[in-house]
Amino acid sequence: MEKQYRLIYDENLCIGCQACNVACRVENSVPDEVYRVQVHLHTQGEFPNLGMSFERLSCVMCENPPCVSVCPTNASFQSKDGLVHIDERACITCKYCILACPYHARFVNPIKNVVEKCNFCYETRVSKELLPACVSICPTDALSFGDMRQKQSLVHQKSHKEVLVFPKAHLGTKPKVAFIPNRKGMKS
Amino acid sequence: MAYFQARRDFLKLATKSATATVLIPGSLGALGEVALRGEDKFVRSICEMCSSRCPMEARVINGKTVLLQGNAFAKEMGTSLCAKGVAGSSQLYDSQRLVSPLIRVGKRGENRWREASFEEALNLVSTKLSALKERYGARSVLFSAKTGEHYDLLRSFASAFGSPNVFSHWSSCPIAIESAFTHTFGEKLHRDFENATYILNFGHNLFEGLDIPLTKAMAHFCANPSKKLVVLDPRFSIIAAKADEWHSIKPGSDLAFVLALLHVWIRDGKFDRTFVKQYTIGFDALVEAVKETTPQWQQTRTGIDASVVERIAAELYAASPRCIIDWGHKATTTQAEFQRSRAILIANILMGNVEKEGGIYLTKSAKRVNALAKESIVPELNDPYPRVQIHEPRIDGAGEDGAYRFVSKQHGVLTTIPEAILSQKPYEIKGWFLTRHNPLITVADPQKMKEAMEQLEFIVVNDIYLSDTAMMADVILPECTYLERDEGISTLTCKVPTYAMRNKIVAPLHENKSAIEIIRALAERMGCGSHFAWKNSSELRAFQAKGNAELLQTLLLRGVASFDVPPLCALEPSSVERFCERYPQSRSWVDAQGCFGHLLTHLKTPSGKIEIYCDAVEKVFKGYGVPRSVDMDVTQGLPYVLTSGKSAVHTNGHTQNVPYLSRLLSSNPIWMHPSTAKAHGLKMGDTFYLQNAIAKEKATVFITEGIRPDTLFAYMGFGHDAPSLVRTHGKGTNVSKFLSLASAPICGAMITNVGVNILKA
Repeated sequence: MEKQYRLIYDENLCIGCQACNVACRVENSVPDEVYRVQVHLHTQGEFPNLGMSFERLSCVMCENPPCVSVCPTNASFQSKDGLVHIDERACITCKYCILACPYHARFVNPIKNVVEKCNFCYETRVSKELLPACVSICPTDALSFGDMRQKQSLVHQKSHKEVLVFPKAHLGTKPKVAFIPNRKGMKS
Repeated sequence: MAYFQARRDFLKLATKSATATVLIPGSLGALGEVALRGEDKFVRSICEMCSSRCPMEARVINGKTVLLQGNAFAKEMGTSLCAKGVAGSSQLYDSQRLVSPLIRVGKRGENRWREASFEEALNLVSTKLSALKERYGARSVLFSAKTGEHYDLLRSFASAFGSPNVFSHWSSCPIAIESAFTHTFGEKLHRDFENATYILNFGHNLFEGLDIPLTKAMAHFCANPSKKLVVLDPRFSIIAAKADEWHSIKPGSDLAFVLALLHVWIRDGKFDRTFVKQYTIGFDALVEAVKETTPQWQQTRTGIDASVVERIAAELYAASPRCIIDWGHKATTTQAEFQRSRAILIANILMGNVEKEGGIYLTKSAKRVNALAKESIVPELNDPYPRVQIHEPRIDGAGEDGAYRFVSKQHGVLTTIPEAILSQKPYEIKGWFLTRHNPLITVADPQKMKEAMEQLEFIVVNDIYLSDTAMMADVILPECTYLERDEGISTLTCKVPTYAMRNKIVAPLHENKSAIEIIRALAERMGCGSHFAWKNSSELRAFQAKGNAELLQTLLLRGVASFDVPPLCALEPSSVERFCERYPQSRSWVDAQGCFGHLLTHLKTPSGKIEIYCDAVEKVFKGYGVPRSVDMDVTQGLPYVLTSGKSAVHTNGHTQNVPYLSRLLSSNPIWMHPSTAKAHGLKMGDTFYLQNAIAKEKATVFITEGIRPDTLFAYMGFGHDAPSLVRTHGKGTNVSKFLSLASAPICGAMITNVGVNILKA
């Protein structure tokens, strides 16, 4: 049966420690100076009335992916499970997809000279029923991943319990990555 | 905070100068391509990227990639691991780490070396150490290591050699809180973050100084809207950002805040009288000592409004006993550190949270659990590292006499070393054996330390990098990384007895040896091989486990072993009842209140009870028997206080050159409030000088709202002078250079808050 994957990022639990960033680099041999996932921290306000926001930057796996529709060679494609992948052999590095992605999730791999991004560790982990490396490694359980069709899954349960925010939802991209926004501190 | 992004610009500037390929003698890079010999399977072991020693598991893929994650057999870990832990493979493959022994050929510290075989290097070390012993006596050689198995091993070797001068890293880190525990409880307690409802935190930043089980528990605590965290820290740290309340307390004034809390509780009679009466001594002395320390009094010292103290005191009392006043980890804030740490412990005691759920608890060691159960439910271990009693005085008098008589002689006071070497008092020091210890980065006044090291006849360093301290050595013995070595069984026990074991994941990449192999080989050469009951790590493990094959098998396969002992709070009748149901013979310990109260009346303190007042301390150091307002100044009359701490991606000195981690944070620009920066005409990224009586050093500025205008902050562990650490050499500021060798009274702790001036470059 086809899957309906979802990844939930809980900003309340994230501490910005970059363990996901390094785990992804090791798992996917991501070269220096580029990254598939990173967490940015922003301090807002004036001393001593301060807040901090945590922002996870990576591919959000759109159901309506602009990167796929602009690809001239079908190198960017969507699988039956709705995941967006890149066929390295077909990529001509035209960078249309990099421009089209509203989430700035794509980059050119300087070693392979093809476009690359997060693929939920599909080949190495998710297809083998393992969690993506970032989810597995997170020191504070800030990430959860699973199939929304499974009522018992953590993502299904969290989706019903928490108020989820889908990044740049107004663009109609329908991301599979959702955020649980900070309950404490200043709101951005 | 934008720190990681802001530093990307620093990185760009910095990396350009460091990209030239430099072949470091004896390094992995000098060998060319090296293939890993490993199997495509999981091996469970213990991390060593920092000193938290989290249980982890590793998988070698295609004989090359090493994927690391938490060891889920340790329930509180799950598969979690931090950025440093995951970057273990980056350290393993770092072309700049050492894999061959080096022998100095130039002048000391000149960084000129020749490669040598282990045979030659070990022979040289044993000959030189034996010669020093012959000529000046065994006491003329110092031994130092970071705490952990390395330290246990080296301490044992030092005793066989005959030197009393063994040092751990404690006096540069947790010694004050350890000492406060010894004098209050006779042992160290732990915090039950999982079940607490209210936590008052004095800068214990578990979100940047990570220890996975504690960090995870604290993250869930913070994210839970029904719980409350209050953080006092001069800096808007990550844990401050996650708190319900953050108060930017003046550096060094935590003690004043705690004394005011104690004052309010005693003034209003809002504390656990029954607990205090039943399990403690010396409460009256405390009443006297905090008579004047009102919330108003603390206001001028801490900068926190008196009404805040009143409110927090009331909230803590309402939440008690499920509340924790958190003592932190690195206890080095002021000269008053012993008093501060003791005041915090006593605040917990007044809230009656000891051995209560959501409070603080005694270690449930194998020995303690077996004694309670009156049966052997958990195997107890042999000590594989015996110690001979040495009848020589230590150079610092630790544990013996004088200013440091209350400091553990097992740990010593590192800041006394330079003066002892330079003055040759109380006697001549001629040699130093350091294993995985880098005092030129992590201990105060490295300038003076270096000067002293130059006077020594022989220095041997075991490290995996050619660190600042290794550069001063005569012989460098390169250890294999933790992924390449087997070690003995270590104890992880907190709530329940737990053991863990470091298991080799890949064969050593080159000739590297483990510290166990190095020390054992030296002992053999120096004629004290029989000191150890084992010849190699397998024998060591078997000896330690008393031949318990089942235990060893579990530790080999799972990396951790626990024994299904129910968690126990000795003063919670329901918890005690659960324990008794499982182990019926333990019922004979149960007291009239349904508790194991005897645990708190048979402590290793002079009175056997919890000591709010320490008579032994008061007799020698008048006024220190109970917490009082003393020694809180950290400015030394200068306008700013330089503070320091950890980032989530580095340790205090070891990881700055690890490729993946260096990329995440490659320097430590100094945090400065915008108004301070403006007053000195500084813009983001400008260079300037920090200056005090000890040092004048160049630094760059990171301007942020997240710090008090009178305070500066730097991440520790930068400013390496060693050129062989190519990625990190010359980057950032070594904050230790500003720190004084004068340590805190009673406990001997180094002080890391220090007054500085800002000067334009």
